[in-house]
Amino acid sequence: MKKRLGFFKFSCCTGCQFHFFYEQRYLLETLLNFDVVFSKILSSSGTPDGPFDVALIEGTVTEVWQVDELKRIREQSTLLFAIGSCAVSGGIPAIKATDPEIEIEKRVYKKLSSIHSIKPYAIDAYVKVDGYIRGCPPGERDLYEALTSVLTDKKPDFLHYSVCVECKLKGNTCVLVSYNVPCMGPVTNAGCGALCPSMNRACYSCFGPVKQANGSALAKKFKLMGLSKDDIIRKFTEFGAVTGEFRKAVEMMYED
Amino acid sequence: MKINMDYIARVEGESAVKIEIEDGKLKDLKLNIWEPPRFFEGFLVGRRFDEVPDIVARICGICPVSHMTTAIRAIENAIGFEPTPRIKKIRDIMALSQIMASHLAHLYVLALPDYFKLNSVVEMLPKFKELESVKKDAFETLKMIRELDYPDFKNDTEYVAVTNKKDYAINEGVITSSHGIKADANDYPLIFEESEISYSNAKRTVIKGRGSLMTGAIARLNLSFDLLHSDAKSVVKEIGFEPLEKNPFFNIIAQGAEIVHGIRKIIEHLEGFSEEESFVGIKVKEGFGSAVTEAPRGMLYHQYEMNKRGIIEKANIVTPTAHNFLSLEEGLKKLVNENIDKPKEEIILLCEMLVRAYDPCFSCSVH
Repeated sequence: MKKRLGFFKFSCCTGCQFHFFYEQRYLLETLLNFDVVFSKILSSSGTPDGPFDVALIEGTVTEVWQVDELKRIREQSTLLFAIGSCAVSGGIPAIKATDPEIEIEKRVYKKLSSIHSIKPYAIDAYVKVDGYIRGCPPGERDLYEALTSVLTDKKPDFLHYSVCVECKLKGNTCVLVSYNVPCMGPVTNAGCGALCPSMNRACYSCFGPVKQANGSALAKKFKLMGLSKDDIIRKFTEFGAVTGEFRKAVEMMYED
Repeated sequence: MKINMDYIARVEGESAVKIEIEDGKLKDLKLNIWEPPRFFEGFLVGRRFDEVPDIVARICGICPVSHMTTAIRAIENAIGFEPTPRIKKIRDIMALSQIMASHLAHLYVLALPDYFKLNSVVEMLPKFKELESVKKDAFETLKMIRELDYPDFKNDTEYVAVTNKKDYAINEGVITSSHGIKADANDYPLIFEESEISYSNAKRTVIKGRGSLMTGAIARLNLSFDLLHSDAKSVVKEIGFEPLEKNPFFNIIAQGAEIVHGIRKIIEHLEGFSEEESFVGIKVKEGFGSAVTEAPRGMLYHQYEMNKRGIIEKANIVTPTAHNFLSLEEGLKKLVNENIDKPKEEIILLCEMLVRAYDPCFSCSVH
């Protein structure tokens, strides 16, 4: 029997879901081994009711109904994976958490009575997550790993090292050391194949923090390079401002 | 009778259509865009100008390049920088490939299954050899699309697109409409008006004093038909598509034509294209700038105000779907009125097909 897959969207650009179905190069045969029970973007005949062998969640949680829905999906799913930076680490929508929220909301809407936004968080703030498919958009390797692990009933083996390792594997010249540009690679999870540094551009952490990253040490390095306090804070709040790893670096800058 | 379509599948983002029919007449219809807001315009304030393109690229998963390019153009305008012809060409190539990718995804994954009475592209895969055509050529796709059976329907609205005299406009040009608007991006606030709607998280944009507008592939074809690549033009002309085409379902044909146009145009651009350094340094200064470009779904407007350190103080983004909001709602009303005697399921399908024909991006529209 085919494994039942549900794909759910919260606050995001739907890019992960699109990317997921775009990835036909490797995924089409893999995908055909799943029964995609629910994906709004893919089919008009889907049903959001479980049970699911695997639920994929994209998007940040920014409204109360999403918390209830997320818990419902969790209860009905054997495995639940976060896909993309928004669901994994709060992603871009988490920038909203860096300022008083009402101020940010007032800049967009004059009438706030119909807006019911809560502080943005990654989905593991509310439910247990069985795996993280990182990236914005998600990296192919981890996406493939997630799906094949479900099909073969094994524990997924995701990449757990920083972008620096990918640069070394590719033989890149280090942009941080050699060109003195503020690269977020040392604290950012791998999976992109060091896309930006390979083009001599600083990593801006779109894959979010690697677990237990030492953000404070990199922030100190940026300071020595002459970056202003505000510039350093912005580096650590673009993707995943609500994560412990990046908050530590930001708090250090404020204490400084 | 009440028809509540709680969500529309196979469109980008979240929306509902609520229809009320009383005594065989349409009493009320609302397009409720319930996509949750992410407040881009709110949190862009305080960010540095060079972060903006990376951030706004995340507004949309289907048209990130359009948001990126429009933001870059607006910021360049704010500091008074004019990119070199080479840079413009690279951006055109990126924009054209973005439009083609978006159109192909929309056509095959979102819009076309309806015309084969199927629920998804997955169901199309084993059953339809027509899909083989996508492997061969965009040309075959366009020929297949133009033969489909489209609902006979006309929508009264004003067509708006960016145009210029030389080219089928994408990134450069003036705001033009079927009812005589010709204006620069800086004049955008004088012509268009954005307002908040109680039943929608997306704001709605109209032409001041006139009303609804439609932008997108059909508007571009309507306003720049002569500049469309001859290969695409001849195929659509054969089925009688000529400006001013008013059937919004034909937006699908217009997208097919643009895919053919895009491929031909990119080949032209790449001929005689040499590898050379494109990087140009800039000097940051205080300023206010805006830009309009053509995203896959239509006219996209970005506007930024920044201080002398390059920090954003104000941001305003109006997307194609916000521009199309009222026209789509009006279209739905007219469509329901014209088909009011039909069974409920048929009305629902027709409404869904019209929403999909507009190719809305609700994530963009709320952002």
